[in-house]
Amino acid sequence: MAKTKKIIGSIISHIFLAILVVIWLIPILWLVVTAFSGYPGINKAHFFPTSWSLDNFKKIFLHPDSVVQYMTWFKNTLVIAIFTCIISTIFVLMVSYAFSCMRFKGRKKIMTFSLILNMFPGVLSMIAVYFVMKSIGLTNSHLGMIIVYSAGSGLGYLIVKGFMDTIPASLREAAKVEGASEFTIFLKVVIPLCKPIIVYQIISSFLIPWGDFVLAKLMLNSGISSDWTVAIGLYNMLNRSLVNNYFSVFCAGGLLVSIPISILFIIMQKYYVEGVTGGSVKG
Amino acid sequence: MREKKSNPLKYFADFGKAVVKGDAGVKCSLLFMGAGYTFKGQWLKGIFVTLIEIAFIIMCIFYAAPNLAKFGTLGTVQREAVFDPLTMQQTVNDYDNSFLILLNSIIALFLIVCFILFYIYNIKAVYELQQQKKFGKHIDSNKETVKSIIGKKFHITLLTLPAIGVVLMNVIPIFVLIAIAFTNYDQNHMPPNSLLDWVGFSNFKKLFTEGMGNYFGYAFRKILGWTLTWAVLATLTTFIGGILLAMLINKKTTKLPKMWRSLFIVAIAVPQFVTLLLVRNFFGDQGIVNTICSNIGLTDWLKHIGLVSAHLNYIPFLTDPHWAKFMIVIINIWVGIPYQMLIATGVLMNIPTDQLESARIDGASKWKIFWKITMPYVLFIQGPALITDFVKNINNFNVIYLLTQDVYITPDQALANANAKEVDLLVTWLFRLTNEYYNYKMASVIGIIVFIICAVFTIISFSKLIAGDREEEYQ
Repeated sequence: MAKTKKIIGSIISHIFLAILVVIWLIPILWLVVTAFSGYPGINKAHFFPTSWSLDNFKKIFLHPDSVVQYMTWFKNTLVIAIFTCIISTIFVLMVSYAFSCMRFKGRKKIMTFSLILNMFPGVLSMIAVYFVMKSIGLTNSHLGMIIVYSAGSGLGYLIVKGFMDTIPASLREAAKVEGASEFTIFLKVVIPLCKPIIVYQIISSFLIPWGDFVLAKLMLNSGISSDWTVAIGLYNMLNRSLVNNYFSVFCAGGLLVSIPISILFIIMQKYYVEGVTGGSVKG
Repeated sequence: MREKKSNPLKYFADFGKAVVKGDAGVKCSLLFMGAGYTFKGQWLKGIFVTLIEIAFIIMCIFYAAPNLAKFGTLGTVQREAVFDPLTMQQTVNDYDNSFLILLNSIIALFLIVCFILFYIYNIKAVYELQQQKKFGKHIDSNKETVKSIIGKKFHITLLTLPAIGVVLMNVIPIFVLIAIAFTNYDQNHMPPNSLLDWVGFSNFKKLFTEGMGNYFGYAFRKILGWTLTWAVLATLTTFIGGILLAMLINKKTTKLPKMWRSLFIVAIAVPQFVTLLLVRNFFGDQGIVNTICSNIGLTDWLKHIGLVSAHLNYIPFLTDPHWAKFMIVIINIWVGIPYQMLIATGVLMNIPTDQLESARIDGASKWKIFWKITMPYVLFIQGPALITDFVKNINNFNVIYLLTQDVYITPDQALANANAKEVDLLVTWLFRLTNEYYNYKMASVIGIIVFIICAVFTIISFSKLIAGDREEEYQ
């Protein structure tokens, strides 16, 4: 009796899970099928497109117009992302090493201060950031975007520092006995041991410009579409006057950007847990 | 390895002691900051410090003084462009740009404060050098000083650049935000074409009072209420949902847990702006969901029970104030649960199994185990993160903005007069005031209010986070 009850319970929970998965994946499925739709607007009557075609992808790759400059946006975002990623990763490694491996006066205080500062959502001070960038003439420029994304990145040191804390101090001591400077220890001892967490740091900072909408919208406000990032460009296609001609192109564009981003996200998600719980859980 | 606790009084007392008891080197350092080092043979450091002093003085004369002189009035010379018939060009007078004066003054003040701190530190360091010499201790040679840049002073080398970035991106903007809240910076006063003035607390007054053609007070009350309701709902629903989903997937009887988890992760791996913009069209007034609901008769049924007003032939998912709020919370559950599931999975895996076992042997029901053991444990671990989530939800710009911008039109005229909507959070309101209406003064005031709200919760969360700090455990 108990066994059959268990089996029935298990079947029910599997069916329930399956229903949930369907709910969660319906919008994604809609994205994929609409990307291959032959009808440019929103198909209001049917979930699956009535005619299939590759026109949307052709438009993106071969026939850019004033609305669809996807390849330019992709290139812009890629350039911004690469530089953001390099600067952020270097900054975070520098800060983490200083906080984790060195002991100096006021260390705890600076750490506390930067943690608190980092908890304030960036959205809040964005108008002031915009003013600062505007007054030095860096709005509507990719250099400005890179600065906005990476300048404050040193505050996000918590995860990398947590990882460095697990490196035995004796390794560093040994190097010091042999006469290595802190700089040498940083480059030759600590960084090689941090490879997995560096991968995480690289991916997560690379993803920021791809997912960000609000800062890009605020900073790249000139209306010149060749300056935009993918997020702004795709958002613009859903403008009231454009949505009926460009909705399926939006889906195709969204699909194209989602594929690489999803892969990177899935690679780094196992570190995500540690980041959120402040390292109190080893996932 | 605990750092000594210092108190501010001792900080100045030490400085006074250094000045009084210092020798000629220390006294000279009061004027020429590098003198003390040079007298003791550290001429390289001496030159370097003196160069900083000279740079600071130059900065004061050419940057800080001219800006700070106008800081009180924010400039008096209005910009005027005169057409010059000789050169056929517009010539512009030597006007004051109020905003640049404001910004530069803040940066200058910041630099001055930093310099004062450095100055005090320097005198103390020179005095310490004097003491070292007196007691015959080793004094670093010039070569050793240079070496310390990558040696025992390496942390300064490492932290300088990131710190400059943080000051530029996080600290200065906060002060600018605060300053603008006390000016009249809006659509009618846009530098460089017109001047700004200090207006005291009148913007704050405008946000906290109602009536007499002022709709900001009303809008603020409504939006603050919704922001807090939303933050509580969004945090709790996704948190509990995430735990339940994680438990369902982690159950021993569930086959292929990794596959199920991955399927949910796919949904959040797609960038938010793509999924949210998509979902918003999914639930559009003429969208696919409405077609389906109308076909299966759901629309008529909802009309019948009064949830959809009779003159509509669709469900106003994102266009009616109540429906929109409801849908935003539901869609946020869709967005948020997989994240929380990921975290909860990690937490649940670490749950002490002996407690669960003994409870099971004692014959406790599953329900009881969940509430008495699992939940307290998860809350204990997740407590601080929960508060952080709450703060993040107060500022959850993406979900609200991407779902409602250009779609939702407020029926409430009073809110519309304040450029607000029922579904706005304080941050989306702030963003619209900035990006569409150039009402910087009110946006800044709202920014400060949100800042204070976030600060309170952040500090609560932080004090708990610090309690769990285990950095020395491994080392």
